[in-house]
Amino acid sequence: MVTPLLELQNIAKSFPGVRALNDVSFTLERGEICTLAGENGAGKSTLLAILGGSLVPDHGSVIIDGHVRQHFSPRQALADGVRIAHQEPAIVPQLSVEQNLVLGRTARQRRDAGKDIDQALADVAQMGFPLKAKASVRGLSPAQRHALTIARALAFGAKIVALDEPTTSMLEHNVEGVLNRVREIAHTRGVGIIYVSHKMPEVMSVSDKVVVLRDGTVNYTQPIAQTSEQDIVRNMVGRELLSFKRQHPVPPEAPVLFSASGVSHPTGGGPLSLDVRAGEVLGIAGLVGSGRTEFLRAIIRADKGSTGTVSVDGKKRRIRSPRDSRNAGIAFIPEERKHQGLVLQVPAYFNVALTADRQFNGFGPIISVRKQIAAAEEAAARMSLRPANVRLNARQFSGGNQQKIVIAKWTWRNTKVFLFDEPTKGVDVGGKVEIYELIDALAKAGSAVIVVSSDLPEIISLSDRVKVMRQGQFVSEHTGDDINEHSLVANAMGIAERTTT
Amino acid sequence: MSQPTLPKKDQAEDSENATNRRPFATAIKKSRTRPALNLQALGIYIAAVVIFLIFGLLNPNFLTSGNLRDIAISASVNAIIGLGITFVIITGGIDLAVGSIASFVGIVTASLMVNAGTSPFLALLAGIALGLACGAVNGLLITKLKLPPFIATLGTMSIYQGFAYVVTNGRPVYNVPRDFVFMLNSYVGGIPVAVILVAVLAVLCWLLLRRTVFGQNVIATGGSEETAWLSGVRVDRVKIAVYALSGVLAGVGGLVIVARINAAQTDAGSPYLLTAIASAVIGGANLMGGEGRIAGTLVGALILGALTNGLVLLNVPSFYEQIVTGLVVVIAVALDQGSKGWPLLKKKKTEPQKEATA
Repeated sequence: MVTPLLELQNIAKSFPGVRALNDVSFTLERGEICTLAGENGAGKSTLLAILGGSLVPDHGSVIIDGHVRQHFSPRQALADGVRIAHQEPAIVPQLSVEQNLVLGRTARQRRDAGKDIDQALADVAQMGFPLKAKASVRGLSPAQRHALTIARALAFGAKIVALDEPTTSMLEHNVEGVLNRVREIAHTRGVGIIYVSHKMPEVMSVSDKVVVLRDGTVNYTQPIAQTSEQDIVRNMVGRELLSFKRQHPVPPEAPVLFSASGVSHPTGGGPLSLDVRAGEVLGIAGLVGSGRTEFLRAIIRADKGSTGTVSVDGKKRRIRSPRDSRNAGIAFIPEERKHQGLVLQVPAYFNVALTADRQFNGFGPIISVRKQIAAAEEAAARMSLRPANVRLNARQFSGGNQQKIVIAKWTWRNTKVFLFDEPTKGVDVGGKVEIYELIDALAKAGSAVIVVSSDLPEIISLSDRVKVMRQGQFVSEHTGDDINEHSLVANAMGIAERTTT
Repeated sequence: MSQPTLPKKDQAEDSENATNRRPFATAIKKSRTRPALNLQALGIYIAAVVIFLIFGLLNPNFLTSGNLRDIAISASVNAIIGLGITFVIITGGIDLAVGSIASFVGIVTASLMVNAGTSPFLALLAGIALGLACGAVNGLLITKLKLPPFIATLGTMSIYQGFAYVVTNGRPVYNVPRDFVFMLNSYVGGIPVAVILVAVLAVLCWLLLRRTVFGQNVIATGGSEETAWLSGVRVDRVKIAVYALSGVLAGVGGLVIVARINAAQTDAGSPYLLTAIASAVIGGANLMGGEGRIAGTLVGALILGALTNGLVLLNVPSFYEQIVTGLVVVIAVALDQGSKGWPLLKKKKTEPQKEATA
C-alpha cells in the first residue's frame, strides 16, 4: 500500500478552559483536494495551526510522507513542504509581486528562485490575474492579493497546501478560474490540498473529499461524489447543547425598549435596523466576518464614520461617541475582553468604576476609593465573582470571572441596553452557564439584550428571537421552533433556498 | 489556568466570610493585598538606601545635612519635570520636548522681567502659561493629527528650542530680579524652597493620579486605550491634558533652573530631558503605559542626584557619571521586570506544575 501524503492521527489540543480538538484523524493523498468543513469554533483554525507548525498538539501525530513530525515549528512545516494560505493575505504591500513571492527565503534560495517565480506568475495569470513581477503590491485589489497568496503557497515545491477561505474577496467569475487552476496544479504536481470554505457550491465543485469537524472531532468523511450540500451542513450542526434554558422568556406584551435604524459601519455593511423589546434577548448569528461586531460598534459609535439613529425607551438619543451611548444607557461588552473590556493591570474595582464619570466623587472630580470598592463589591456579590476580592488585579481572574467584571462595569449604572459580542469566548463550560444566567437575569430585570455569537448552541439557548447576518445584511429572522441550528446555518451560509425547496 | 484554583478557592471563601462581617472586611483584605503591592515598589527604595549608605561609607561628608540638602536641590529639577513625564508615560506616551520647554519658559520669563520689566509674579504666571500652551500643542498634535508621541515631541523639542534661541538671539539673560530668585531659591526654616515645591507638587500629583476621575482615566488610557474609549473615557482629552500638565511642570522646572543659576540660558533645560525620563523609569514608570508611581519618580530623581554628587565627592572623573547613570537605569528596569518574573525564570517555575496537572 502506498503511504498517504499526509496522515493525521488522533490529534488533540486543549487551551485553558477549552478543548479545541478532541481526536482528529484523516488522510490526504497526493493530488487530492480535501475540504475541511465545520462551524465557527469547530477546530479548523487550530488544526491548520498545528499543520503549519505554529501550535504543538497535546496528543497524536502528524505523518508526512511516512515520516512522523518530531518538531513543531513554522520553519519545520515549511521544510516539510507544508504551506498555509491564510484568509487574510500575508502580503507586504510595500514590496513588489516578485519580492513577496520570495519573502522569507535566504539570498541563496532567491538566486535559484527564477523558475519558481515564473511558475507562480504563470499560475496567477492562469487564474485570471496577469501580474507583472515588478509591480507593486500596493496597487493590487484584494482579489489579486488573494490570488498571489494562493500561487505563492502552491509554488516552491509545496507538497501540502492549506487554503483558508481563499475566495472571500473574489467575484464569481474569478473564483472559477482560480479553482480550475488549483485543481490542475493539484493533479499535475501531486500536491495535496486542504480547502477551507463556507461557500458550499465551491466546495462541491472543487473537492474530491470532505471532512467535517464538529466539537473538535471528525464527524463525517465522504468522497464528494457521494454526498450533498445538505448532508454536509447536517453534519456540521447538531453540536452538543448546554443544558441551559432561559427561565424568563420575554413576555408577549413587552414594549420596544431599544431601536436602531439605518446603522452602518465605515467598513461597509448596513444600513441595518432593528427593535428589541424590554426583557428580550435578540441573538445575532452569522459567520465570522459577516459584519456583526461592526454593527454593534456602529451602534455605540466606537469608530469614526458610523451612521444611524438610536432610541432608548422611545426617546431618540444623540450618540456621537461611546461616551454618549454610555450616557444613553447602552452597554457594549466587547469580544476581546482583555484588550477592549478590561484594564488588566489594575484592580477589579478600578475596572468597574471605569464607566463612572463623577458618580463616586467625594468632592467634584475627586473620587472615593472606598465608595468604588463598595460599589464593585456589591456588583461582585450579585454575580458571585470568584475570588470575591475586588482589589485583585483584573489579570488575576479566570476568563469567566473577567467577563463578570466587564458586565459589572455596566450593571451598577442605569444601563438599559446590553450589547454582547461573543459573551463566552474563551470561557469554560461552568463559566458559560453563569454568564447565561446573568444575561437571563438582565433580561428579567427589563433590559433589552443583543447577543452576537458564533456559538450556535449559545444563541439558540439564550435568544427569544434570532436574526442571521450575511455579508453585512440581516438575511432572516427566526422565532420559536425556527430557532434551530439547521435553519440558522443554512441562512448564514446562504444556502437556505436550496435546502427548503 | 486550572492550576491556581486551590488558593483561589481559599481566598473566595475567606472574603465571602469577610463581606458578611463588614467592619473587618477591609482590614482582612488589606492585610492580604497591600504587601504584594508594596513589594514591587519596595526594590527602588531599598536600592536608594543602599546607594546612600555606600556613598556614606566611602566618604564621611556624603551624609552630612549640608550635602544631603545639596542632593535634594540638585534632584529637584529632575523631580519636577519627571512628575509630568510620569503622567505622560502612564498614558503610554513620551514627552521629548520637556527640556526645550524648560529652556523656552526660562528664557521668556527672564526676559519679561529683565528686558520688559514685568513683575516677577506676573512673569512667573506667564511662564507657566507658556509651558501649558507648549504642552497642549504636543497633546493636540498627538490626538488630532494622530502623530506618534515620539515623533510629535521630537519635532516640538526642536521647535521650542529654536524659539528659545530666537527670543534673545541666543544670548543668555543675566541679572534676574532678586525677588524672583527669592521665590524659588531661598530657604524656609532651613529647607530649600525648591525642595518644598517638589514636595507640594508631588502630593498634588499623587492626589491627581490616585484620587481623581482624571487620574483613573490616565491610568485606564495607558492600560488599554480601547477599553477606556469603549467605557466612555474621552481619551483625546485625557492625553491633551497630560501633555499640558507635562508642559506646565517642565516650565516650572525651567523657572527653578533660572532661579538657581540667577540667569536664563537658552539651552539650560536640555540636559534634564533624559535624566527626567530616567527618574520616572527608575521609579517604575512603564513605557508600555498603565504603570507609574509618583513616589518612585521622586526616588528615581534622588538616586540620580546622589550618584552625581557622590561620584564628585569621590573624585571620580565626571565622564564616569554618565556610565553609572546608564547602568542604574538598566539595572532598575531589569529589577522591575524581574519582580514581575523574567520569562526565563517563569518557565522553570511553571514547567513542573504543568507535569503535575497532566
